[in-house]
Amino acid sequence: MASAAPPPASSSWGCGRRRRVRCSAERQGLFSRIAPVYDNLNEVLSLGQHRIWKRMSVSWAGAKRSDRVLDLCCGSGDLAFLLSQKVGPDGQVSALDFSKDQLLIATARQDLYWKACYKNIEWIEGDALELPFADSYFDAITVGYGLRNLLDKHKAMKEIFRVLKPGSRVSILDFNKSTSTLITQSQEWMIDNVVVPVASNYGFSREYRYLKASIAEYLTGKELEKLAKEVGFSDAKHYEIAGGLMGNLVAAR
Amino acid sequence: MVRASRRLLKDAANIGKAFSDFLACPLSKQPLRHCEDSQSRISETIGVSFPIIDGIPCLVPKDGKLLEDQNKSQVENGADPSSGNSERDLLLAVNIWVTGLI
Repeated sequence: MASAAPPPASSSWGCGRRRRVRCSAERQGLFSRIAPVYDNLNEVLSLGQHRIWKRMSVSWAGAKRSDRVLDLCCGSGDLAFLLSQKVGPDGQVSALDFSKDQLLIATARQDLYWKACYKNIEWIEGDALELPFADSYFDAITVGYGLRNLLDKHKAMKEIFRVLKPGSRVSILDFNKSTSTLITQSQEWMIDNVVVPVASNYGFSREYRYLKASIAEYLTGKELEKLAKEVGFSDAKHYEIAGGLMGNLVAAR
Repeated sequence: MVRASRRLLKDAANIGKAFSDFLACPLSKQPLRHCEDSQSRISETIGVSFPIIDGIPCLVPKDGKLLEDQNKSQVENGADPSSGNSERDLLLAVNIWVTGLI
């Protein structure tokens, strides 16, 4: 948020090592701090696999030429760039995030990569719980590693439903909160022994420790399907990918 | 090639303007008006303006500024527009708008 500086690291984390990142401002501060290394860490930690998961997610959204699409919690723009190529120069991509720092990196990447179709992207600083769009506006929506970080997931899904055209789909990619003990323990082991140590080389071990708690607080695939149907989606299906480590919810209005 | 480049830039500017016309107020969900002078998006319904900074529209509800406050700060020419009461006033404006709908 332009008018509020993110809280300093010391006040964000308090005294207890297990203090959770509770409020939206703290989460916004977290994502703004990691913005400079976010893309590099995604690449390293997923061994480049995140690109495949994101392409799958965009395909599931069903975006096509000339469509108007939204990438919510766009961060530095990975999904927005993929959507831009899908919808082409006659389409529109709205890419919204609450972190100005992430959006500035997205615009820098847009200039750096420069493809003609990228002119169809509009970056917007906004609140996923109060979307600045009219009802039934978008032909497809994607959310990549965003829903899990929103404090009010029910409200977020209601807003997504509101701005989606009837018959269109939302595709929500994120970590999978698995009901399998093996997968959950594998995720936790990887976060403790790979993610956090690698992130600490970049100076962000605390920020990436947040990942384990946020997955634990997230919804399982079945719970996500139920939430989508509660807010009005006619159909919802959660797909596990990457050996169950990741998941993608596809919901149709 | 120079003429083609100029046409591309002009098209980009037109696309940008037309593109942004679809944005709505995050609170009232009504269309926003683009204000060239203040480089902001105006919600006439609730009398709030949202800034555009570094070319990016800032449409977070608490980034909105009451039009009265904005006009006052322009007249006073240099007074600090970000008063501690601006968020309270914004919430008051929204409350008035919501009450009017009931």
